[in-house]
Amino acid sequence: MRFRALSLAALASLSVVGIGWQMGAQLTASQQTLSAVPVAPAAHTGTAATVPNPTALGPAAPAATGSPAATTAPAAPAGAASGTFDGSVVQTRFGPVQVSVTIASGSITEVTALQLTNDGGRSVMISNQAAPILRSEVLTAQSAQVQNVSGATYTTHGYLTSLQAALDAAQF
Amino acid sequence: MSLATHPTKRAQRRTSVPRIHPNYRRRMRLADGLQIIAVVSVALVIAIFLADGGAARFGTPADAITSLGVVTGLVGTDLLLMMMLLAARLPSIDRAFGHDSAMALHQSLGKPALYLILGHGVLLTIGYSMVQPASVFAEVWIMLTTLPDMPLAFVGLGLLIAVVVTSLVVVRRRFRYEAWHLVHLLSYLAVLVSIPHQLSVGSLFREGSVQRYYWLALYVGVAGSIVLFRFIVPIVRSLRSQLVVKGVDPVARGVVSIRLSGRELRRLKARSGQFFIWRFWTPKLWWQAHPFSLSAAPTGNALRITVRGLGDASAALSALPKGTRVSFEGPYGLFTDFARTSPRIVLVAAGIGVAPIRSLLETATFAPGQATVILRSSTADDTYLVDELAHLCRVRGAELRIIAGKRSPGANSWLPADAVRARITLGTLVPKLREADVYICGPRRWTDEVVRDARSAGLPTRQIHFERFDW
Amino acid sequence: MPRSSNRPGGVAQNVNPAGPPNGDGGSGAITLRSMGTVLSIRFGGPVAPELGAQAREAVGSVFASWDTRFSLYRDDSELSRINRGELRLTQASPILRDCYAAALDWRDRTDGVFTPHRADGVLDLSGVVKALAIDEAGGALRGLGLVNWSLNAGGDILVAGDQAPGLDWVAGLVDPDDRGRTLAAVPLALPLRAVATSGSAERGDHIWTAVGDGASPYRQVSVFARDIVTADVLATTIVAGGEAALARSTETWPIEVLAVLRDSSLLATAGLRADRD
Repeated sequence: MRFRALSLAALASLSVVGIGWQMGAQLTASQQTLSAVPVAPAAHTGTAATVPNPTALGPAAPAATGSPAATTAPAAPAGAASGTFDGSVVQTRFGPVQVSVTIASGSITEVTALQLTNDGGRSVMISNQAAPILRSEVLTAQSAQVQNVSGATYTTHGYLTSLQAALDAAQF
Repeated sequence: MSLATHPTKRAQRRTSVPRIHPNYRRRMRLADGLQIIAVVSVALVIAIFLADGGAARFGTPADAITSLGVVTGLVGTDLLLMMMLLAARLPSIDRAFGHDSAMALHQSLGKPALYLILGHGVLLTIGYSMVQPASVFAEVWIMLTTLPDMPLAFVGLGLLIAVVVTSLVVVRRRFRYEAWHLVHLLSYLAVLVSIPHQLSVGSLFREGSVQRYYWLALYVGVAGSIVLFRFIVPIVRSLRSQLVVKGVDPVARGVVSIRLSGRELRRLKARSGQFFIWRFWTPKLWWQAHPFSLSAAPTGNALRITVRGLGDASAALSALPKGTRVSFEGPYGLFTDFARTSPRIVLVAAGIGVAPIRSLLETATFAPGQATVILRSSTADDTYLVDELAHLCRVRGAELRIIAGKRSPGANSWLPADAVRARITLGTLVPKLREADVYICGPRRWTDEVVRDARSAGLPTRQIHFERFDW
Repeated sequence: MPRSSNRPGGVAQNVNPAGPPNGDGGSGAITLRSMGTVLSIRFGGPVAPELGAQAREAVGSVFASWDTRFSLYRDDSELSRINRGELRLTQASPILRDCYAAALDWRDRTDGVFTPHRADGVLDLSGVVKALAIDEAGGALRGLGLVNWSLNAGGDILVAGDQAPGLDWVAGLVDPDDRGRTLAAVPLALPLRAVATSGSAERGDHIWTAVGDGASPYRQVSVFARDIVTADVLATTIVAGGEAALARSTETWPIEVLAVLRDSSLLATAGLRADRD
């Protein structure tokens, strides 16, 4: 390659990449609506990382159960962080997903995925299909401490013979 | 004429700037433009990734690996498309680089493209498996079963690996050209089946986005070029030209000159030194196509090629009946006077490489005394078209040198052993070599040696033109 | 399912083998009857008895007020008066109209599978009312400063905070084949803090199929969602709308679904499968 071609190509490429970089930076900046109150980085990034893809949004998200953020709930220290925080964009096979965490008085009240890539509608659909599953494959929480039972509507009468009634009757 | 031009040339030599042909400047502008487009196309796909917020996606190891996988896929695909374009016989590419250089570039891009695409698959699988988390093998299964169009993408990757591996094997073991060609066609299938997953997995090329249209336009452009210049143009030209075999003249054992006649051949804009890919429509030969160079300057109604047939084709070619229909792709190549940069010219040929040299000698621009023709052979007998060359040299005022003698085994030279011992080089053979364009045509290894010699004599790349053949 | 048993008492022991760390009597379930079912309120840590009583009071009054307005079992409810033609919708209370609007909105979002209009023409808002009541009751608990609690109204569950520090609330899903057993035990981790289950074999009071009677392919559908209204409406929708509704729901909303088919086989979204590794 001759010098002229090389230098022009380098110049053009650098400009193109630079413009792309700028556009990306603006995009990222527009997604970052960080509140003024600093938030514990562990809670912030930790939660963002727990929702790496749409399939993991469910209760089964393994990291979510053990997330440090989930433990900050009970006693909110005075002046604890509040507000809505956008986590870093996590790249998934379905495209980038960004998680927004709403924190009130130190505890997380809401986690929202901002960027589910359903622009084409297709990825998300395929990501979260209900598929046949064996009974032995159904999620069973490690702790095995069931506090509530969800079943089709109990009547007052039905309740009396329900698992829920048994649990409620148990002294704990 | 020679008196009139001599002083100006001297003046230029004093400033040590050789006279550069205006064609060369035009050609270089085109070449520069194409190279810039190629480099910028790589930059552009990276920019597309960055504009989508890609730079922010290197925060965690999993993200970084995934992002890197996306980038390698983008760049690798861009290179693949570039390779296909280089092989699409685009007139502008042929004019700027010549068929030989374009194909050399095509070949040299093969491995990088494959590594990038392989990297794409591996990095994304690892990146995804880290997020999942799942083992890499489990992740492959998950990807195959849950991601849209993923089975096709894996098929494409497999085909690509197969094409590159067989290409290496074919080149090494010198398989038949036809077999290699057939396998090569699979690469088009590989590229084709990998398109759906690019559009459906991930959001980079999401529906309605500018980059999706750009990406699709790339594919359409490349596919259109291939269809147009590899199929439509050759078919139209072949039909229009109505080429038939007019006669076959024996030149030497296994070597024949084939005279062809047709109509409206000027519209092909063929030049001396160029080659076509020919197909002779006889029951034995119709299924194979061969690249052969013109051995005489083309006219409005006649073309001539000189051919050394190998094996079966040899007999079939020398027995071509009069009136056999001929179809062709071409003309291709930059082994022409169009590529000239200097006033003098040196034509170096070995074996059947004499064919394009012969046609070049016929029409190249040079004043009497400014051209040297060097024929190289093992013995004085196995040179072809010597009589014609001698005649042309006499008419045009060129010097003809025939250098016969075996190469010394192990010595890296294009000259016979005794010439090497006598320290003879291209520079000692040709007067004012620095002011000449050197055209070399012969077997691959031999050609490379001549090119090396010319370079070591101080000739810049633009003054060295060569065409190599393998079989 | 080793922790399941046919006898309720046995279940209780099994599901709570050692007792949670905060397992003193103060944090047991508070139960109260309302809306034709029983509500269970639990707290994730010790709560002062007065606060517990306040919570019970608050939840009870929320449910009572919704029940008064919307029950079709009470002749004097606002909704019954509308259905009898005594009251025009335009004259109804803003709450009822909002509720009706919400139901209509869900009808649009579910392509008409979920509908507040019963086949016999009766306006039945119970499909959203219970969930809205749970939602409001949750707000009332938050208003009392309670952070860690769970609320179960007839099998529809909403939780907040943890059951114990660092431990998510866990919901069991009833096995329709044996209602004394559970099919799954699912932590109600962020962000899906609500679960609702609908069954075609149950009362079916708010389940109406879009076309004909169309026996649902699903005997029971549990939906985990971010809010209880979405969970409840979609569970109803999937039972009523069958496969198409299931596919569309999982595609459109960030939910997890476990469906029990007529032949007792299961369908589950990825999040409800046991970990692969």
